Amino acid sequence: MASYFRRKKITFWPCGFRISGDTIVLAAVYGPKAGSKKNESPEKASIEVLWKPKSGQIGKAEREYEMILTRTLQSIFLSTIHPNTTTSVIIQVMHDDGALLPCAINAACAALVDAGIPLKSLAVAICCGITESGSIILDPTKQEEQEMPAFAYLVFPNSSLAVLPGTPPLIEGEPVEHGIITSVTHGAMSVDDYFDCLDRGRVASAKLSEFLRKNLAQSQIPNHSSKAS
Amino acid sequence: MEQRLANIWRMSVNEKKFIENALLSDHRVDGRRPFDYRRLSLKFGSDDGTAEVQLGQTHVMGFVTAQLVQPYRDRPNEGTFSIFTEFSPMADPSFEPGRPGEAAVELGRIIDRGLRESRAVDMESLCVLAGKLVWAIRVDLHILDNGGNLVDAANIAAVAALLTFRRPECSLGGEDTQSVIIHQPEVREPIPLIVHHLPIAVTFAFFDDGEILVIDPTYKEEIIMGGRMTVTMNTNEDVCAIQKPGGQGVKQSEIMRCLRLASQKATDITDKIKKAVEAYDLERAQRKIRRHSSSSAQAACGADIKMSKQVVDVTQKKIDGFKIQSKDPMNQEEVESDTDLENSNTRGENNSFQQVDEIHGKMKSVNLFTGRPSSWHPYGKGITSLSTCTSSVALSAPRAMEAEKKDTVALERPNESKLEKPSVEATVDDSHTKEMSASVQQVNQKKSLKDAVKVKSRKKKKVASTMVGE
Repeated sequence: MASYFRRKKITFWPCGFRISGDTIVLAAVYGPKAGSKKNESPEKASIEVLWKPKSGQIGKAEREYEMILTRTLQSIFLSTIHPNTTTSVIIQVMHDDGALLPCAINAACAALVDAGIPLKSLAVAICCGITESGSIILDPTKQEEQEMPAFAYLVFPNSSLAVLPGTPPLIEGEPVEHGIITSVTHGAMSVDDYFDCLDRGRVASAKLSEFLRKNLAQSQIPNHSSKAS
Repeated sequence: MEQRLANIWRMSVNEKKFIENALLSDHRVDGRRPFDYRRLSLKFGSDDGTAEVQLGQTHVMGFVTAQLVQPYRDRPNEGTFSIFTEFSPMADPSFEPGRPGEAAVELGRIIDRGLRESRAVDMESLCVLAGKLVWAIRVDLHILDNGGNLVDAANIAAVAALLTFRRPECSLGGEDTQSVIIHQPEVREPIPLIVHHLPIAVTFAFFDDGEILVIDPTYKEEIIMGGRMTVTMNTNEDVCAIQKPGGQGVKQSEIMRCLRLASQKATDITDKIKKAVEAYDLERAQRKIRRHSSSSAQAACGADIKMSKQVVDVTQKKIDGFKIQSKDPMNQEEVESDTDLENSNTRGENNSFQQVDEIHGKMKSVNLFTGRPSSWHPYGKGITSLSTCTSSVALSAPRAMEAEKKDTVALERPNESKLEKPSVEATVDDSHTKEMSASVQQVNQKKSLKDAVKVKSRKKKKVASTMVGE
């Protein structure tokens, strides 16, 4: 526990590499801190998310994001290791250019890994949108999101590489690759379109998770020396 | 309750004594001298009015937004200015979410006094309709990392964000000139705020009964300091605000010394801020134009390009003959239309030119913004009078270029006013098909390079001749 008590890390996650604007979200993780939240059972660790918008009052939209993020992270969080503790994840929106929630989920996940909090798998989020012409685009900008009749935020567990080669990953009897952690849809889309989105999203998330793993692995090594202070 | 207290980090006695003893011999734990500031880095976001300040470990972000509201009854001609400080829990485990604590309120008040009550920001220019509508400027300061001396960093963030903020231009319209039209940034270039002077906060920490003083305390120094004083000054040596909330008593001579030091530091920091803001303004202006030129090179990139009228016109003037491909985010159809300057109707809706690769290569080398109008571009008498206008104003090179842009905008304004209504209604999200259909009446169909040669406009002819000449 001492190895990551009060281990704080701020991670920068730019989502969408565009000339005119990127969605940038800052995520920080504190914990595990003593005590669990009020209505939570002290038998397990709880996770709390604080969503800070760029400007303006905190309203219902921010509460919704917090709830979605909490539930998503709870599914990858190992709550039995440190009972009666709270891990806080604070999200600060720096710039919003579409696909804000997936960006935040990716940032939070990266922050948790960087803080050394043990996780079941990484949560990789992607936004799929369906245009008027019926084609599916990934990671739309804010303008595109507004124009699209429907879009969906999808969170997949990253394709796991089993620790021991040859052993299949087990999560409720289902192979990890086919699970969806979270799906939030906006607008109306046909069932077929939704399944298309899922397929595209899964493929994209595989790529994204590769990228994540590579970057996190690289960033872990030089950070050990700085974290000693 | 005990659980929350358990999460607060406490300093050990050994560490406290170590820092105090080091200060007795003028050493600070991070190696600075007593009157040195930590390294200041100032970055700006892609939006106007977004500033990120890092003062050592302290990390603060400032966002400026504006809204039209009703003015206060006793000040019907002035805009309003408000500061919101947010001590984000990510800055420090002891920061609680929810209502701002004492420290947050105090910080907000110091910055507010420095900026508003010293009249740094001009409020009367924010009035749109006296007694009815004024601009309300709101500054949100987010403390992202508490490394000590939040006031100074937050003040720099607020000042930098205010300097780079651009508010939308609005004009009075309607039958009785009572309705206000807010122009989209693509239609009319947004205007910067008028800032008369830059108040800079300098914080001092006192130790050892007021005998030892240091500037810019770190987190640990703040915990053991005996007293603190924040002086907000500007480069004209005006004291905008002083805050000394209790703590150890300090001699008058020491206070005067602090004020002198603060004045020096304020000048240093003001220079840094001004340099950073100038660099940002230059980059911003370049970005507006370069965006269109680079899009023609990267035909396959999915860049969203918002073509503004001004930019189109400025690009017309500055980058003659450069045909730019504009893109609809959804479908990448190439749209090309004639943009005859004299034909004011075309100026409104059409955006694009045909891509010409060989010219593009030339353009890249030329499009470096030396700040003078392009030599082969005879935009006629207009430019010469404009360039004399700009030369008469004492501006630095990047400012001159921006001013030139603005002046050229001013020139077009009478023509553009005709197009105000339709352009305002047309949102950026209009697909090109819509725009094309609107402009089809006024604009011609697809033209090739040959047509450019035939066009009546002097500008085009000259371009054609230079093209042919190459």
